[in-house]
Amino acid sequence: MNRLSIALLALAAVVLIIGGSTLFTVRQTEQVLITQFGQPVRVITAPGLHAKIPLMQTAISFDRRLLDYALPPEEVILGDQRRLIVDGFTRFRITDPLRYYQAVGPTEEGIRTRLNSVVSSALRRVLGNEQLLNVLSSARGRIMATIRDQVNAEMKNFGVSIEDVRIRRADLPEENTQAILSRMQSERQRVAAQLRAEGAEAAAKIRADAERERTVLLAQARATADKLRGEGEAQAITIYADAFNKDPYFFKVWRTLQAYRDAFAAGTSRLVLTPGSDFLKMLRSAPTPEDAKPAP
Amino acid sequence: MSWNNGGPGGSGGGSRPGSGGESGGPSPWGNPGGPRPGPQRPDPKRPDPNRPSGGGPRGPWGGGGGGGQPPDLEELIARLQAFLRGFVPPGFGGGGGPRGGGGRGFPAGRGAALIAVLVVGAWLASGFYRVQPDEQGVVLRFGAYNRTTFPGLNYHMPWPIETVLRPAVTRSNRVEIGYRSQDAGPRGVASARDVTPEGLMLTGDENIIDINFTVFWRIRDAGAYLFATRNPADTVKSAAESVMREVIGRTPIQPALTDARAQIEAEVFKGVQAILDQYGSGVEITQVQLQKVDPPAAVIESFRDVQRAQTDAERLRNEAESYRNDIVPRARGDAARLLAEADAARQVSVTEATGQTQRFLSVLKSYDAAKDVTMQRLYLETMQDILTRTPAVIVDDQLKGVMPYLPLTGPGGLSAAPAATPAPQPAPRPAAAGASR
Repeated sequence: MNRLSIALLALAAVVLIIGGSTLFTVRQTEQVLITQFGQPVRVITAPGLHAKIPLMQTAISFDRRLLDYALPPEEVILGDQRRLIVDGFTRFRITDPLRYYQAVGPTEEGIRTRLNSVVSSALRRVLGNEQLLNVLSSARGRIMATIRDQVNAEMKNFGVSIEDVRIRRADLPEENTQAILSRMQSERQRVAAQLRAEGAEAAAKIRADAERERTVLLAQARATADKLRGEGEAQAITIYADAFNKDPYFFKVWRTLQAYRDAFAAGTSRLVLTPGSDFLKMLRSAPTPEDAKPAP
Repeated sequence: MSWNNGGPGGSGGGSRPGSGGESGGPSPWGNPGGPRPGPQRPDPKRPDPNRPSGGGPRGPWGGGGGGGQPPDLEELIARLQAFLRGFVPPGFGGGGGPRGGGGRGFPAGRGAALIAVLVVGAWLASGFYRVQPDEQGVVLRFGAYNRTTFPGLNYHMPWPIETVLRPAVTRSNRVEIGYRSQDAGPRGVASARDVTPEGLMLTGDENIIDINFTVFWRIRDAGAYLFATRNPADTVKSAAESVMREVIGRTPIQPALTDARAQIEAEVFKGVQAILDQYGSGVEITQVQLQKVDPPAAVIESFRDVQRAQTDAERLRNEAESYRNDIVPRARGDAARLLAEADAARQVSVTEATGQTQRFLSVLKSYDAAKDVTMQRLYLETMQDILTRTPAVIVDDQLKGVMPYLPLTGPGGLSAAPAATPAPQPAPRPAAAGASR
């Protein structure tokens, strides 16, 4: 019995060791390259449990997912000689583990170095033919696609496919930034000054307009008023003339007498009369009935 | 997946998955990788107790793993049992051995068997897991995606056969760009801290703008989210930043600061989603929210000054308008007054004229009736009226040699006496009544 259990344990240990070095899992996110004494023999992309020959074969796993690599910021010179600080990121995938392994080894470090130099040079090449205004426009998508295609072509032999190269930041260098800031500032000052002046202009116009309106209103009113007065006088004259023309002589008499009365109403004048005047005529000579003839 | 199709259905030979899964557990897969390694490590040195206890937990499996594939599991277990049965030497075997007769032979064996049963039971029970309402369970069998399970109690085969990942699929995640919200503060006030270089962007007209925005996203496809991209959350952020800079890069500063916000949000939303779809990342953008869109801090004062200038201009205009509103109606009032006065004067003239003429006409009528007498009477009455009030000196113009002597004093006395000298007035009819003053 004891022997049996020892045998059992030994058996279990053997199974364990053989199974452990034979079977391996490929995770959903992985793909595996099997090498035999260092010689690549096959690639497993299907996840799950797989077997290899123990001791002879080694499994090297690579990521199967879309991998990210961020490009460090660098200064590039554009087609119009403007300088731009650009950083971006790359998304790539290991499509051929064997080539990848042969080109850069089992780690990701190697591919990063390669990517960095390839993307950087593609970036410089493509952006070197572009104007700043293109980079700052909807042409950016086209530029990024061009960079991606160039990088893809260069990286073909590395067993990777570049899914995307995107420019993230595209900023002007610090000294240009300062220049832009001061330009923005002066631009705003210009706008502010213009706004204030336009406000003053409008205000002055409104005031002047109002004063003009007032003056014109009053002048028109005066003119109308004078016209009205004139009309009144004209009407009065007509009325007078119409009436007085009925008997001009009587009017003269009547009006003269009225004027006398008014003129001497205050009683401050002194009259020097001669007895020859009509009024005093009778002081000198008594009237006779014959006098009735020559009426003055 | 390969397990499902290939493994069990294939040969029952030496590389049986069952044995691999069981005995190979500890050594090659020391790093399980899955978030849920069985807490109790199974003891592979005692495979035999697995057989009797195998039937026991099967009940709960069927119930618990309702969402999964119970037939598949049972089949798997059955194969495992069959395999073990064939593996164990017949003498040792005897299903009931540990419980029944075996115990008689080995007193210690009974306790060991009991422990083994407990250990295996615990191992099997470690496959129960709970999926929270906001989660989905993604079950991996030997690292390969096997199935998705839903909220509730679920079962997966114990580690190392299956592991489960439970991403929170309904949770809304946020990525903040240009700032980091801080929930801190002893005063309990959440504040936002700017991360300047991240938020500064070049606009289409080569100005600089400071933008803070937030992207909300959630997992649309748990499988894709977990397996398609490395670091999906970071991918969302990079894509959002890139797209925002692209969009701002073709927008002039004034619209970006004012009325193009909604449009920017929409474009970024669309652009980021397109990129994430292109990556097959299984992430869905739910919202892009612009928080702050400002000119850079260095020049914000000038931008505010423009607003002040606008207000100033408005104020000047309003003041002028109030001045106008003050003087113009007054002028209208004055004009109306002038007109009224003139009209009154006109009416007065007419009325006076009418009155005067009426009087004259009335008098004329009477005069016409008796001309001579009336004229005489009018004349005399007038003279009488005048002379009763006005002192008069009567000088006979026929007394040529006499120097008329006028008293220079008196009520009417004036120095105008010389003018009154009637010497040059030989008029025989002085009815004109020369005025002396």
